[in-house]
Order: sequence, then C-alpha cells, then structure tokens
Amino acid sequence: MILLQSHSRFLLQTLLNRVQNLEKGVEFDNHWVEFDDVRYHIQVSLKNPHILLLSVSLPTPPPEAIFFGGLPSGAIEAIKAAYGVIVQILDPPRDGFNLTLKLNLSKLPPDEGYKHALLVKIASIRETVLGAPLRVILKQLAARTAASNMDRRFAIVHRPNESFFLVPQVGKMMVMFPMRFKDSIDIVLATSFLQEFVEARRTAGLNNAPSCMWSPSPPLELKGAPAETLSANAGFVTFVIYPRHVEGKKLDRTVWSLSTFHTYVSYHVKCSEGFMHTRMRRRVESLIQALDRAKPELEKSKKTVLSRSFKRMSLKEGRINSDS
Amino acid sequence: MDPATSRPAVVIDNGTGYTKMGFAGNVEPCFIAPTVVAINESFLNQSRTSSKANWQAQHSAGVMADLDFFIGDEALARSRSSSTYNLSYPIRNGQVDNWDAMERFWQQCIFNYLRCDPEDHYFLLTESPLTAPESREYTGEIMFETFNVPGLYIAVNSVLALAAGYTTSKCEMTGVVVDVGDGATHVVPVADGYVIGSSIKSIPIAGKDVTLFVQQLMRERGENVPPEDSFEVARKVKETYCYTCSDIVKEFNKHDKEPAKYIKQWRGIKPKTGAPYSCDIGYERFLGPEVFFSPEIYSSKFNTPLPEVIDKCIQSAPIDTRRALYKNIVLSGGSTMFKDFHRRLQRDLKKIVDARVLASEARLGGEVKSQPVEVNVVSHPIQRFAVWFGGSVLASTPEFFAACHTKAEYEEYGAGICRTNPVFKGMY
Ligand SMILES: Nc1ncnc2c1ncn2[C@@H]1O[C@H](COP(=O)(O)OP(=O)(O)OP(=O)(O)O)[C@@H](O)[C@H]1O
Ligand SMILES: [Mg+2]
Repeated sequence: MILLQSHSRFLLQTLLNRVQNLEKGVEFDNHWVEFDDVRYHIQVSLKNPHILLLSVSLPTPPPEAIFFGGLPSGAIEAIKAAYGVIVQILDPPRDGFNLTLKLNLSKLPPDEGYKHALLVKIASIRETVLGAPLRVILKQLAARTAASNMDRRFAIVHRPNESFFLVPQVGKMMVMFPMRFKDSIDIVLATSFLQEFVEARRTAGLNNAPSCMWSPSPPLELKGAPAETLSANAGFVTFVIYPRHVEGKKLDRTVWSLSTFHTYVSYHVKCSEGFMHTRMRRRVESLIQALDRAKPELEKSKKTVLSRSFKRMSLKEGRINSDS
Repeated sequence: MDPATSRPAVVIDNGTGYTKMGFAGNVEPCFIAPTVVAINESFLNQSRTSSKANWQAQHSAGVMADLDFFIGDEALARSRSSSTYNLSYPIRNGQVDNWDAMERFWQQCIFNYLRCDPEDHYFLLTESPLTAPESREYTGEIMFETFNVPGLYIAVNSVLALAAGYTTSKCEMTGVVVDVGDGATHVVPVADGYVIGSSIKSIPIAGKDVTLFVQQLMRERGENVPPEDSFEVARKVKETYCYTCSDIVKEFNKHDKEPAKYIKQWRGIKPKTGAPYSCDIGYERFLGPEVFFSPEIYSSKFNTPLPEVIDKCIQSAPIDTRRALYKNIVLSGGSTMFKDFHRRLQRDLKKIVDARVLASEARLGGEVKSQPVEVNVVSHPIQRFAVWFGGSVLASTPEFFAACHTKAEYEEYGAGICRTNPVFKGMY
C-alpha cells in the first residue's frame, strides 16, 4: 500500500456483511478509532436488522477552523448529496459524537455494482464530512469562479487542534501544511522525507502533478496567521493546485490526498524506520557471523557459553536455552 | 494526563495461523487475518549492488519494493496469482520466527487494517507462555522504536483466555487453559493470574496437524481434489464438517449403516482450468479431531492423549491448587471448536481422575472415603478468539494503563523492561 484508501476497511466489511445477511437479526455494537482521532460507533439491534446507526466523532478543531453545529461547513449538504434516501441525519447526535446517521439498508439500490459503490461511499464517511469545506473551495477553483474570495485564507481541520490552509490566487490555489511530529527521530526523518518528496516531484514523468515546495519557515501567504499555527517542527509544505487537478473525477482524489497528507507522511516515516531496522538487523547478524568466524578453534567449543553475552542479538539461541 | 489513555487500547493476538486484531472494549476483533506476508523480493536483492540504479529501476517499474507487500488473505491471493511474491510466515509454532516479516505484518495491521495512528493508542500484544524474554524485548523494541506506541503490555495468551470468562461470572483467575491453535497446543495451569511455569505441558499436535491428517485421508482414498488446492480444501472441510465422536468403533459402524446421513459432499472449482469438481467426505469427519484423543493414529512419535496430558499437568502443579484447577478447565483456540470436543474431554478426564481416586481408596482398604473431585471443562461461544476477548476485557479496565510499560520508561531503562509485565487487578 502506498496511498491510504478513503474508506474505512472495517466499516466497509461490516456493511457488506450486513447487506449479505440482511434478514438475519444480530446484535452488533462496535466502536473504533482511526488516525487523526476520528472515532466511529456502529450499532445494529436484533429488532431492526436493516437499520444501522453510525456515529462519527471528528478531531477537535483549532480556533481558526470553525465548525457549524459540530460539523465542518458544507458537511450536511455533502452527506445529503452523497447518500440520498438511505441516510437520515439524527439530531441531536449520540452523546460524544459529532454526527449520527441512521442507515436504512433496505433502501439500497438493487443493482449490485451501484450498491457496492454506494457502500464504499458510506464507508468513506470521513472523506465526505471532513473533506466537505475543501471540496467546496476546490470546486469553485475548477469552475473558475473563485474571484470573490481572492486573498482570503481558509483553515481546514485535519488533525486534533491542527489545520492546514488554503489561499486562493488568480487561477490557482495555494495549499499549505504546517508539519508537526512528536518524536525527535520522526522530525528528522520527516524533514528529509519532505525534501526528497519535493525533489522527486521535479523528476520527469511527474510534470502533471501539482508543484510543491518545502520551507523550514512559514510561507509568505501565511503572514498574519496566529502564532501557534505557524510553529511547525518539520517545516511547511506548499502545493499549488490548478483547475486541471480538480476537474471532474480528479476532485475526489485530490480532496482525499490533501486531507490525509500528514498521515501519508507519517506512515512513510514509520515505514522507513521499519526498513532501517531490517537493515540494521541484517548488519548485526552479519557482524556476529564475522565475529564467530574470527574466533580461534579452541574457543569455538565454548560457543554456547560465549553467545550468552549476545543474548539480545542471537535470539534463536536464547529461545533454545529457555525451551530446554 | 496522557490523552492516549482516553482512547481504546489496540489489542492484537498474533497466532501461528491467524491474527486477531481490534480495539479494547469490543466483543469481537475487527479483523481475523491469516498471519502471513507476501513480499516482492525482486528488488530487495539487488539493493546490494547499486542503490541509485536500483531506485530508478523501481521507479520505472512503478513500485516501491519496501512498501510492496501484502498480508493476510490478500497475501495469499497475490502469491496465487503472481510469482513475484514470496510468502513468509512470521510465526512458527507460536514463536516469532522472522522479525522482518513480523514488523511488516504489524505495520499493515496498524496502518492498513485498523487504520489507526500507533502514537495514539496503548497496545496489548500476546505471547505464548513459552516465549523467551529476549523475544519480548524484540517486540518492545519494534513497538516503541518503529511505531512510537505510548504504552505496551505483552500478555501471556493463556492468562487472557482465562480472563475471557471474566464477564460471564465472577472473575476466576485459577484454572487450566487448554489452548489448541494452529501451530501449537499448550496446557497451562494458572493460579491467581500467575502461570505455573514448571507445569506447562506442550503437545506437538494442533490445528495444522488435523488439517494435514484430513488431507492425507482424502488423498489416500483417492478423492478427486486438485493437489495445489488440497490443503486449503482439507482445512475448510475440517472447519465445516469435522466433529468429535464418543467412540471410534461405534462411529465407524454408524457411518457404514447410514452412509447417506453421514457422508457429505464437497464441491469446488479447479483453480487452473476453472472446471467444477466434487468429492466425498467420510470417516475423516470424526477421525480428524480424534488425533487429540488417540494420537497414535496420526503420529508415531507422540502418543499421549490430550486428557492424559491435562491430568499430568494438574498432578504436577502444587497440591493445594489441584482441586481448583480440575474445576476450571478452559478451552481456547480455533481447534477446540469441533462439536462435542469439550464433552469428550470432560468424560475422558473424569475417567482418569475417578480411576485414581478408586485406586487410592482401595489402597487404604476402603476405610477413608475421599471427597469426589469435581472435573469441569468450560466451553463458551467465543472460544475461537477467547484470547483476544480476554485481552479486550482487561485492556478496558483503568488498571491496564498503569500496568503498561510507557515510552518514557522504555527510553529511561531500555528494552529490558519488556521482559515482564505485572499481573494487575482485574486479573485475580
Ligand atoms: N470451526 C472450527 N472448527 C475446527 N477448527 C477450526 C475452526 N475454526 C478454526 N479452526 C482451526 O483453528 C486453527 C486456528 O486457531 P487459532 O486462531 O486459535 O490459532 P492461532 O492463534 O493462530 O495459533 P497458535 O495459538 O497455535 O499460535 C486453524 O487450524 C483453523 O483451521
Ligand atoms: Mg492463539
């Protein structure tokens, strides 16, 4: 996997499972948490097996990104447009959640392909809701009607108490991410990853991708933003989005890629850490082999005793010792 | 306070055959996936020669070798459809065997299946009671260094299986856990939440052996199953049709008298040609699970029946715990799911115990009557993932977070702290 998929795997699995056994009554109650503190709760009762209650809680927005009635602007419209009759928004939502949807699975379309696409869309509820404000602004860009909001700055929440920024300019949109990481090693890795990322964009074959920049200090466009939004320990990434990046079907992908850019970087940082550990383990093993070979014959007979001092490295021996 | 403690902990039970993963507080794991990784090795091996050229080769082929791998059912599907992927099973007989594969497996579990940020959650992982402390250190290293988890608890899977009974009645943390998984069978006595290490008994027969035996029986009878599919078919046959009988001889007779009632049909499609085929399923329905009770029909090396092993295990435990142990024999693991498995176990074990009581009474000349020993084999519907469920229950108690090792402790004292985890309240 290189890019995250926009649907929640578990939610989709549950929905498909439910749809296949629609007549079978089950008691189902499950809650789980995704990256960026998006929490889900799903409930099915024995009495109404075709009704499914889905609640979602979103990351707490920072002061600069405002929610309306607990939701990002445009979210309600986006939900209605995406799901139509099978979804009813419950007001108020369940305690502790920003949104509760009542799904009526018996109203799903009969056509298998269409039904599946709709279930995937429901499982992508997070994209629909959190991506709503971004989608509205990018749609204006695609329609080239953005003249009125020129030089305004939009903040869009993507992580608890953190947002990224959109600044419309003539014929294009600047998207800026302050990048923050908790762990000191992550900060270093992420910083170099981002520099490579910008470099990779310049190679041939990626000419159609949005251009991007990285800088250790806030870009000019963010001048005047509150100080706490301008502190980022892994620098700032800026993408320049043109109307051609958000035309037609490309809009969905662009919305999702931008809303999960931070997670994408963080995931790749973890992968490179894992990759480095693999390399380090191989290196340690080869060094231990070299050491073993270097031992004079006499000592080789005492090997098992000696290798105890390498207990952390030669795991297999440790296991054999403890098994016996 | 650490905000991670306000989120449900991630509970992952890595088994030889299947990994159960999900969030604490739920009744069921979110995913049960085969513990297997499919790795694209075509680029990894070149990395020794020249890294720059390798990078470009990967780029033009449109892959990133270090990210190009799959786990679980996807891994099995990939390896079937393409030869660029090699399957690697990170766990063998309950022990991690390949740490590189294990690390990748966890990476996918966390980011692609559960889709959570590991920095946001405490983690509960499981290990077999025979795992070496070094292995726990490795696990700790990977969890804290690669994934930056805020806190980690590594629990013994048998203890968790006992804790699974927690919600149904009052918490009874003394008992014998009979864990029959895919690659290992352990009989583990636990007293007040502590494993009695010296009395653990292991049996080299588990779920995979039952599958192999079923496969062998079907092959010997000449059933028409394509060879490349026969292991998978045997596994499915086992999971759907096998049951435990009370007496083999009687069972053979029953099958012979009423074949229509007992012989089942298996229908499949040949993977290569797509042609449909079908075959019969006969005696293997009860002979499969019988390997636990009469191991000599399967293996020439090991021939102690499971009930006898359990009895030996309890007899070797401290004398003051034995009665309590006989009273609470808990089943866990997928291979205890055969119909009537617990009945047979209970009956056979009771026979052994009663025979011993009679013998000792006879020795004493019938003057002293001893109190009868209560033998109780407990079975519950969530047996298949009892370990996971026990973990889910324990990890949702407030005491859990205090019992975890935290990242700060790890940084202060090193991986050595992961060697042990304290037993905590809720466990006894
Ligand atoms: N309904 C069933 N009836 C019989 N066997 C089953 C059933 N369901 C699963 N199994 C078998 O149980 C085994 C898997 O059990 P489980 O998931 O407990 O093992 P594990 O935890 O992966 O392995 P281990 O604990 O040995 O490391 C497999 O061999 C599978 O075929
Ligand atoms: Mg297991």
